Amino acid sequence: MMEVEKVRKMKNIKPGTVVIPVLIWIMIAIMLIPMVWMLLVSFKPYESNVTDFMVMLTTKFTMENFLKILDTSRMGRWIFNSFLIAAVQSLVGILLASLAAFALSVIEFKGKKVVFFIILAGLMVPVEALIMPLFSLIISLDWMNTYAGLIMPGLAMPLAVIIFKQFYDGVPRELIEAANMDGAHIFWVWRKIFLPLSGNTTAALMIFLFIQSWNNFLWPMLVGTDSSMMTLTVALPVFQSTFSTDVTMPMTANVIASVPALIVFLVFQKQIVKGIAMTGIK
Amino acid sequence: MLPFMLMYGLFTLYPLFNGIFMSLRGGRLGRPQEFVGLANYAALFKDSYFYEAFGNTFLFVFVSTPIIVLLGLVFALVSNSKHRGAKVVKIAAFLPYILSISVITSIWVYTFKPYIGFLNSYLIRLGVVGDQVLWFDRAPLAWATIIIATTWWTVGFNTILFIAGLQEIPDELYEASSIDGATKWQQLKYITLPSLKGVTVMIVLLQIIASFKIFGQPFLMTGGGPGTSTRPLVQYIYEKGFKDWNAGYASAMSYMLLLVIIVVAFVYNKVTSNDGGGKGA
Repeated sequence: MMEVEKVRKMKNIKPGTVVIPVLIWIMIAIMLIPMVWMLLVSFKPYESNVTDFMVMLTTKFTMENFLKILDTSRMGRWIFNSFLIAAVQSLVGILLASLAAFALSVIEFKGKKVVFFIILAGLMVPVEALIMPLFSLIISLDWMNTYAGLIMPGLAMPLAVIIFKQFYDGVPRELIEAANMDGAHIFWVWRKIFLPLSGNTTAALMIFLFIQSWNNFLWPMLVGTDSSMMTLTVALPVFQSTFSTDVTMPMTANVIASVPALIVFLVFQKQIVKGIAMTGIK
Repeated sequence: MLPFMLMYGLFTLYPLFNGIFMSLRGGRLGRPQEFVGLANYAALFKDSYFYEAFGNTFLFVFVSTPIIVLLGLVFALVSNSKHRGAKVVKIAAFLPYILSISVITSIWVYTFKPYIGFLNSYLIRLGVVGDQVLWFDRAPLAWATIIIATTWWTVGFNTILFIAGLQEIPDELYEASSIDGATKWQQLKYITLPSLKGVTVMIVLLQIIASFKIFGQPFLMTGGGPGTSTRPLVQYIYEKGFKDWNAGYASAMSYMLLLVIIVVAFVYNKVTSNDGGGKGA
């Protein structure tokens, strides 16, 4: 019996010890090579050949592209726009969602079930399906090429409400009763009990929403048509299309555009992962 | 509560209902629009470009969803193992997800681009192909570039969700089974995969809904071409609405998209819950 067991174990050890480590390095390579290429190309002289990694590694490196882009394009402005929009949307969006979830979880009011259902149904409605009526609303508000037009439609996020509500539903009711007994205002309960309790959730969700907003494409393209009101995602393809044979400038622009997101990722890696895992919790 | 509902009402519910009225009107955006009843919808069903765009979106949903979900699972299983480099897999898988769509599409366009991209030159050197592959000149190849770019970009999202699911499986199950002499393969088959059923049901639904909204990748990579062979529905809506300024027609198409997403989600939910699988969404 022992022998059989041993043989079986040896047989099964093989794929685990040989295949998986190899698989690990293949996976890492596939995921990283395009990014490594982007980075390498950005340091190569204008219009140089970028099809060979070995050649690229052994020839001249230069910062020229970076200096030229930062000097001649409105990259700074586009980064600022993207950053401002993402920051306001994630911050205010979280605040609105938290308050709404608190009301849905704690306060008794008429039509609560209906309201919750309407918010739940909103999960099914992508902004892509609303662009026409939303755009005509922005036109009638005269919000084209304004931060209001870029930011406001993205503030009410049903998903965030539902995640918060799930968390708040788990908060012990005794806490609220105790606060009520002390004569605390309901807003105080939210501010001093619920908001601090959900600190980790809030942080994770906020960073997740920040990245989502940072990467938005369709809506900013429709509303921010003026070069000074473009976000990075919208301006980048426009900027890159001015180079036909050169690869180094477009890749340099990509690197510059990615640096802020990469910094956010490296600093908040744990929260980002948690934020995503939360979108899956039902 | 109130501030959220105000924003939600103004920027989601109001457009949602106003869109219905817009889809019943003709004329261009910003001009007096006459009521045309269901004429936009009738025209839609006679428009071969509408069918093509819808078909393209469906094609993308049904080809990309299994690929992205399965690879997400493989990445999660590998990065959850105790091998060297497993943790790096998780970070590497997720890294592209934080890059913006413009960056990732541009990386892949230049990767595939004949003569100046690096992929062709390596394929030729390795003897896989004899000459430059013109990736963007034929529909199947153009689709391949879109699906590869999308997979590379978003696989990390599913990986993280699967890892979250893996971590909820109690260690005792594995310990008990290894005392009973179960192999790794048996553990995977009888413990890991069945335990992930609920998570998988949800990931597939999220992926399907996300894939139906496909727009940026074809728009930025192929422009919908060659011809209109990779143009998805959202891009056609965009072109009708913002190039031809035909607001009614574009709204009508938006409602078809919304309807299909809701029907698919509903049917999916029914099928998976009858299956005794997870709870769906």
